[in-house]
Amino acid sequence: MLKLTSLQASYGPIRAIDGIDLEVNKGEIVCLIGSNGAGKTTTLMAISGILKADAGDIFFEGGRITNLPAHEIVKKGISHVPEGRRIFPKLTVRENLQMGAYTLSSGKRAGTDEEGLIAKVFDLFPILRDRRDQMGGTLSGGEQQMLAVGRALMSGPKLLLLDEPSLGLAPIMVSKIFRTIREINNEGVTILLVEQNAKASLKLSHRGYVIESGAIALQGSGEGLLHNEDIKKAYLGE
Amino acid sequence: MLLQQLINGLTLGGVYAIIALGYTMVYGILELINFAHGEIYMLGAYLGIIFLGIFTSLGLTAANFPLALLLTVLMTVLFCSAYGFTMEKVAYKPLRNAPRLSPLISAIGVSIFLQNYVMLTQGATDKVFPYRYGETHIRFLSVDLTALQAAIIITSALLMTGLHLFQKTRMGKAMRATAQDKTMAALVGINVDTIISMTFIIGAGLAAVAGIMVASYYGIVNYSIGYMAGIKAFTAAVLGGIGSIPGAMLGGILLGLIESIGAAYISSEYKDVYAFIVLLIILLIRPSGILGGYSEEKV
Ligand SMILES: Nc1ncnc2c1ncn2[C@@H]1O[C@H](COP(=O)(O)OP(=O)(O)OP(=O)(O)O)[C@@H](O)[C@H]1O
Ligand SMILES: [Mg+2]
Repeated sequence: MLKLTSLQASYGPIRAIDGIDLEVNKGEIVCLIGSNGAGKTTTLMAISGILKADAGDIFFEGGRITNLPAHEIVKKGISHVPEGRRIFPKLTVRENLQMGAYTLSSGKRAGTDEEGLIAKVFDLFPILRDRRDQMGGTLSGGEQQMLAVGRALMSGPKLLLLDEPSLGLAPIMVSKIFRTIREINNEGVTILLVEQNAKASLKLSHRGYVIESGAIALQGSGEGLLHNEDIKKAYLGE
Repeated sequence: MLLQQLINGLTLGGVYAIIALGYTMVYGILELINFAHGEIYMLGAYLGIIFLGIFTSLGLTAANFPLALLLTVLMTVLFCSAYGFTMEKVAYKPLRNAPRLSPLISAIGVSIFLQNYVMLTQGATDKVFPYRYGETHIRFLSVDLTALQAAIIITSALLMTGLHLFQKTRMGKAMRATAQDKTMAALVGINVDTIISMTFIIGAGLAAVAGIMVASYYGIVNYSIGYMAGIKAFTAAVLGGIGSIPGAMLGGILLGLIESIGAAYISSEYKDVYAFIVLLIILLIRPSGILGGYSEEKV
């Protein structure tokens, strides 16, 4: 479904990812783990078109999407929950969700049931229903994370990119978020998950990749990586 | 007397507010002080004179003045919006990732260019608005105002209401979202370039209306009027809190009131000074302006 071939991207003169090869099949949860500064966020930013690729290619559902503008990539069915959530602070919870559906109402699919989609997000995260008229910026970290995921689901994505959804959350929220990721996947959404929490994400994922200084160092099934000795030492603290 | 000054101040303040909106909207999205915005207002005044002149020579003004005026406004708004759109594409968009000083210098360049362009094509001397209208006096609660003054106050109020309603629409929400976080806006599928263009188009359209209103009110225009109006409107935007739309409205109206009351009760010679004194005081107390402050949340 998604395929990166020798993808390179930089910030100014600094090369942040240097030849990433990665594949995500339809229906999978794939995780991308690696230490700070390894290039995880950069990879996701390149996929969603925020960062231009220097070289290499990105294919989605067979078509080349390398260096398409970000707003075109969303329309193709890729939704990105970025690092740090990036809730629109001065829009209400409802307005944030409506922005998530921006591509739907502008596309040919007229008559999308925006209210129905919002109700579905509220069913997934009931706390957001109580907060619906509150400004996004006033939500707690956990609520913002739920809103960020909900907003990304509003466009009805085929592929969801999640950048550290568990960062800064209390343990109970972390397991809630991981459960939700599985639920979303069960509904047919393919997921590429970036996580610091290597153990939980490998358990959840069908397959995983390990990224080290901008390149893929290791890959395998979630189960396999979980029992890999190197991984245990470097990322699982065992 | 006081009530009379309030009405005069409101007329002036409405115009300042309308121009200030263009500054604040652009600042909200690009964090750029568009120094050339005052020139769009000046172009609006000239284009108003030109189009009304055309409609007069066609006999439309004599036959149906309201229609002629409406068409003049429409054409002027259309032309000024095109100027605003082009200005962004030519002078600011190429500098979007440049250091912050570069677009500022570019803005000053556009301003100088537009002033000279109008001076060369329209002449350096004052131009007279070709048609006097709305001179009927209305007496209202011991206040004496002209129909034109009333029309200016009402038009300003309508434009501000319109902009307020626009902010609730899909496009309006996308504009607010873009002002808050451009990267995230792109990630939800908003075409940020289109939104930026829209901002310039709307801001220029508003300035165009302000230009026609002032040209009709004072009956005379000059290629340099954009400078002072621009500074005043910019002051209004800062007074209210730059980046804040309600702030620009409030700042504009306050500025107009301060000026006319200061002129009436202190001295009209220092008319242009009061505004800046109040600005200094407000900024000492509230550095982000009266309604500003959320802009500090920006990363
Ligand atoms: N905006 C930027 N400008 C310059 N360099 C950057 C920028 N963002 C990231 N980098 C650099 O690119 C490299 C990869 O960063 P990236 O954010 O992709 O890492 P990451 O794997 O997501 O790390 P973390 O786990 O800390 O989020 C790092 O060396 C980082 O310093
Ligand atoms: Mg990261």
